[in-house]
Amino acid sequence: MANMIKITDLEKVYRTEEVETVALNKLTLEVKEGEFVAIMGPSGCGKSTLLNILGLLDDPDKGSFIFNGIEVAHFNERKRADLRKHNIGFVFQSFNLIDELTVYENVELPLIYTGVKPAERKKRVEYVLDKVQIMHRRNHYPQQLSGGQQQRVAVARAVVNNPKLILADEPTGNLDSNNGNEVMELLTELNEQGTTIVMVTHSEHDARYSHRIIRMLDGQTVTQNILV
Amino acid sequence: MLKNYFRTAWRSLLKNKFYTAINISGLAVGLATGIMLLLWVQNELSYDKFHKDYQQIYRLSSHFKSNGEDLTWTGVPGPLSVFAKSIPEVQSVVRTSRDFDQNLSNEERTKIFDGNVVGYVDSGFFSMFNFHFLKGNKATAFPNSNSVVLTQSTAQKLFGNEEAIGKTLQFFKNNFTVTGVLQDFPQNSSIQYDAIFPMSLLAKDFTENGGNGDWKTIDEDLGDFTFTTYVQLQPAANPVKTGQTFSALYKKARNGESDASFQLQKLAAIHLISADGNNAALRMVQIFMLVVVLLLAIASINYVNLSTARSLIRAKEVSIRKIVGAQKGQLFLQFSIETIVLFCLATGLAIVLIYSLMPLYNNISGKTLSFTLSDANVWKAVILAVVGTLVASSIYPALLLSSFKPIESLKGKLTSGISAAFFRKALVVFQFAISVILLVCTMVMSNQMKFVKNKNLGYDKSYVFSVPLTQEVVDHADAVKTELKKQTGILNVAVSDAYSLANVSASTGDLDWAAKPANSNMMIIQISADKDFIPTMKIKFLEGENFTGTPADSAYFVLNETAVKGMGLKQPYVGQQITFHNIKGTIHGVVQDFNFQSLKEKIAPLIFFTNWNNKNILYVRTTAANAQQAIAAVGKQYKKYAGDSPFSYYFLDKTFETQYKSEERAGTLFNAFAGIAIFISCLGLFGLATYTAQVKTKEIGIRKVLGASVASVVQLISKDFLKLVLIAIVIAIPVAWWAMNKWLEDFAYRINISWWIFILAAFIASLIALITVSFQAVRAAIANPVKSLRTE
Repeated sequence: MANMIKITDLEKVYRTEEVETVALNKLTLEVKEGEFVAIMGPSGCGKSTLLNILGLLDDPDKGSFIFNGIEVAHFNERKRADLRKHNIGFVFQSFNLIDELTVYENVELPLIYTGVKPAERKKRVEYVLDKVQIMHRRNHYPQQLSGGQQQRVAVARAVVNNPKLILADEPTGNLDSNNGNEVMELLTELNEQGTTIVMVTHSEHDARYSHRIIRMLDGQTVTQNILV
Repeated sequence: MLKNYFRTAWRSLLKNKFYTAINISGLAVGLATGIMLLLWVQNELSYDKFHKDYQQIYRLSSHFKSNGEDLTWTGVPGPLSVFAKSIPEVQSVVRTSRDFDQNLSNEERTKIFDGNVVGYVDSGFFSMFNFHFLKGNKATAFPNSNSVVLTQSTAQKLFGNEEAIGKTLQFFKNNFTVTGVLQDFPQNSSIQYDAIFPMSLLAKDFTENGGNGDWKTIDEDLGDFTFTTYVQLQPAANPVKTGQTFSALYKKARNGESDASFQLQKLAAIHLISADGNNAALRMVQIFMLVVVLLLAIASINYVNLSTARSLIRAKEVSIRKIVGAQKGQLFLQFSIETIVLFCLATGLAIVLIYSLMPLYNNISGKTLSFTLSDANVWKAVILAVVGTLVASSIYPALLLSSFKPIESLKGKLTSGISAAFFRKALVVFQFAISVILLVCTMVMSNQMKFVKNKNLGYDKSYVFSVPLTQEVVDHADAVKTELKKQTGILNVAVSDAYSLANVSASTGDLDWAAKPANSNMMIIQISADKDFIPTMKIKFLEGENFTGTPADSAYFVLNETAVKGMGLKQPYVGQQITFHNIKGTIHGVVQDFNFQSLKEKIAPLIFFTNWNNKNILYVRTTAANAQQAIAAVGKQYKKYAGDSPFSYYFLDKTFETQYKSEERAGTLFNAFAGIAIFISCLGLFGLATYTAQVKTKEIGIRKVLGASVASVVQLISKDFLKLVLIAIVIAIPVAWWAMNKWLEDFAYRINISWWIFILAAFIASLIALITVSFQAVRAAIANPVKSLRTE
């Protein structure tokens, strides 16, 4: 399989007036199309920074990041946003749904921004809502849902645009084990249908759903366990 | 996409009811005030512009030097319109003259009305100006000197709903035929009459009364500067040059013995700039325009401050939208739409406010402005105010919000906060500086007006009323006075030709004395009065005595202190020879200076004399308790001689006050502006304080856990805001001081701005700010810390 992500010698340093924090230190990493990768490591090891760079939400200071065969390390915000909205879906620990929008509208949002026609939007939103089994709650607001339900909505929103890559940042962190497992099943199912998934997690249990576990420490990868 | 934006905007407004309410009410009040002021400004700037050729029409004015001071009159001699015929630049010329408070009646004298403004105009009047005829037309207006053109209202008053054309009207015992009915003069016309007679009537009277010396017709009379004269120039003509041509022709006609010069002033400018170049009225319009901008700025600032402050709360939403694919432009549009929705609501509320406040506003401003949404001018004002404010308040917040870095704002790590916070603080300072300036202006203005009202004028204006007399009463003045003096409640009675002692303006240069310098142009104000006048007014003598009441009075004159000093006389003044209107006589007394004109003017030279039989104004001094009785007694005597002519009376202190009506109005309006500015500023401050309390919830919680008292927490929140208000005060004081000194320059008699006004204004502003802020601060301080820490 071809590489979806190829990162070489990636560096990211955060500076405040007095402190310099090295978040990523010459990190090198490859993710193949269709892979399900889990990233683990203690707090502050650079997992989230990596995920942000992978998600084109942040840019690295140095190094190369080839996404789908294109060098994107120094794309400007506009180009990154463009690439992001067509290729990447996000799932967060704290769901990050917009409180003022209904379930349906939250899921519809990425389609609006990519300029999909209303009729097509309706079809696709209903399809994914059905898939994550939340159709019956389509007109509810996020606050009216349980955590598990909210995360299912977030997953639906992440996949509605048929992204090639889903980035999940501790997707079960705020859920009990039952709801957590449901979400992990959902991600596995998506992966089986061909979506590449990179997931940051603290949970060994969740990590076992993936094909490969990358462990990080001080901004570098230390070990890789291949599970499949 | 747009639908989604509107939906989100609407929900976000609903969700944050508190901030929405603050924003909408602040904007609505600001917009309502701004729109009302703009309507006023629009009206002031529209004067006389409804004439088709208004840009080519000018008014002539006369200019002299007297005692080293410039004198300007809006009247010019009649022959100027004869000269005009030989000046090629002049297309047409029209003389006008006007008399106030004239008596008109129908032929049967069943309907008699006083207080009419009567105009006399040359026949070209209706061609030069576009006043609209309802009946008749400009060609048939004046077939002879016994014709009259009425306004609709006057026709209605005299003849009811009957056809007025062809009806007969009585004026000074003569009959006139109505030949035309005009639509009432527009409110924004400088030319205002109730009835218009042909100039030939005035010309006939002049000649029949013997003319002025050798000059027997108004076309020859070079000595009287009585006609307000309008000229219409050829489009390319130069008004300055034309004025010089008039001056040269006049000088030639006077055989070189005149230094009078004439100038042309644009018709459209005369409402706001007087002929002598005094542009106080124009300045007022400019000040009001500035106030509009400032009030709208204050309202916009609230919006900007609240929305940027609250942007932290919106940050999460912005990030999510960005992560799922929103472009910066799309977010900018979304936030702009939110502002637009809010503005629509505010504009709606503002329109409701204006509708309900319009009568009150007209009352204060002395205008008859209408607020009808079918009027294009109203829309101009609304759109100007709304769009200006909208642009000012939408751009910055939308830019700020749409430029958040998604991942940082999602985690609450906002870096753009520092500069935004500084910007917000600067805006709060600006708001309060404006409020303090307006507050100081209000206080200074009201102090000056109080000073004017209570100033010792040098005579006693209380409980004196004046009554304009008809010629029949004037002819029996002595009998009337004797009768009235017997009445209890009437302390004294006098007659003079001064319409109101609060503002005497009849002046002449016809005064000679031995040491008069050859080049002296001294003008002196003249009052023809009887011997009772000075005592009735309680004017005090500096030297000499009052008139005697004997025939010897005809060679006696009483001058004021300024006059004798201006003439360069040495003491004792009494007994010195002077010649006034060709009568040789002596100075019999010198009175202490008193204010017989507006307090904006310095006291001018003044002369009292007795020998003209034109003393047609009766002055009566009464007491508070007996005023009604006195009026009734005077009315009875008046009826006895004047028959059915209407009787009217004016209390001197009231006429005195009407002179300051425009200042009074400005004062009232400034009161309102200051109030509104402070109200809107406080709304914003209240919102910001609420927000600060929210943001500092965690900090306050921790401090309380560590043992902080409620007072120290209140102090924590209030301190920063008070600091801003204090900075605002420091900025505002010099500005206000400068502005008010400028305003006071218009008054010859004025207060000094005392330091306590600034202290008081500063105190009021700080107090209001403190109350506003501490309301929220206390609420935050008494909240349970356990609860506030858990929200993290």
